[in-house]
Amino acid sequence: MSRGVLLIASNNEQIDYIKQAVFCAKQIKAHLGLDVCLATDNVKYLETAYPFYKSYIDQIVELEYYNTSQIKTYHDGIYAQKKLPWKNHYRVKCYNLTPYEETIVMDTDFIVNNDVLLNCFDYNEDFLIYKSYKDLNPNRVEHSFEKVSDRSIDMVWATVFYFKKSKLSEFYFDLVNHIYDNWSYYRLIYQIPNVNFRNDYAFSIAIHILNGFQRADWPKNLPGNFWTTTDADILYEYKDTSMKFLLENTQDRGQFYAGKILDGNVHVMNKFSLNRIIDEVLVNE
Amino acid sequence: MDARLEKALEFSNYMATLNNQRRILHEKFIENSVHYLNGGKFSVDRELINFCSTLKQNDQTSAILIDDNNTPVEIEDLDKFLDDILDIYFTNTYEYLNQYNEIKNKRSVKDLIDL
Repeated sequence: MSRGVLLIASNNEQIDYIKQAVFCAKQIKAHLGLDVCLATDNVKYLETAYPFYKSYIDQIVELEYYNTSQIKTYHDGIYAQKKLPWKNHYRVKCYNLTPYEETIVMDTDFIVNNDVLLNCFDYNEDFLIYKSYKDLNPNRVEHSFEKVSDRSIDMVWATVFYFKKSKLSEFYFDLVNHIYDNWSYYRLIYQIPNVNFRNDYAFSIAIHILNGFQRADWPKNLPGNFWTTTDADILYEYKDTSMKFLLENTQDRGQFYAGKILDGNVHVMNKFSLNRIIDEVLVNE
Repeated sequence: MDARLEKALEFSNYMATLNNQRRILHEKFIENSVHYLNGGKFSVDRELINFCSTLKQNDQTSAILIDDNNTPVEIEDLDKFLDDILDIYFTNTYEYLNQYNEIKNKRSVKDLIDL
């Protein structure tokens, strides 16, 4: 049975998701040793900007380019922010995009530093996802990471998930696509104030519906810790598997704590600081 | 600023960093102390080791264990399972101790993070 990781990357004017995908694939090769497929709407850019990509990316799926009206505020620490297009719509199509029978789908800003995710292939489950997270910053209480809205359902993280091609997975992703097509309706039903489509929410709603509109054990958690940082934090050094961050001091705005993690898989939401670090890492490629 | 308060705030920053690094180490220890077998996930702790040892002492060679996801999993070779979880336990506690001692002796944020 074929196994691999699917990455999806669509750049906007400021954030080079394709660069992140190349770096993410490099980490996957080093720690998971799996095939990597990149689905992108700008293959030409990948080939010209990162001609060495073939060392890390095994397959390319070309996506149709589209413009989005969806705008998101991206922070770079507390004080810097930019409003930019947010193209996250292809994630819901992953069931048909993947060339593999068993797939781990990963955000390009998820940095793999160990091999714990390989255990998902031994679980005998059709679908696995992270239902809980660990904030690298111990002082932050982020309610929006717990529930899709204040009085609504539990949130799962579409940042990383595993699925096996099966009736159940197909059924699940058909439902996710239906939620995407009718986002305005589901957003109101689940009391989500933000108009932007967000995969975490659509995946959470689909799980809630398939579980009979109840909280339940399905799906199981992906193996390992899901560490996260927000875009208020700054990644300032990456070496081997050690990542060093400036973590926002929530009680003293503008101040930071230092934090370091070794061998941990980390979701780095500050895309600007991640891209600065990737420039340093890929400089000799 | 009063020098006494300045010193206290400096120490408080160090303690916050130290506590967070200890928490990260502990989470890593828990993440590594897991045995995946036959589709099951078993957190390796004193309770699991004790239970398996008891089964073995009662001449059991196989058993059905309930994993972390409340899934029943058949363990066909209990001896091997016990050996494996003991190995995981000793390897990880040893590593945890080493890393814990390493940060325990560091007296500044700079040293803690290797700036």
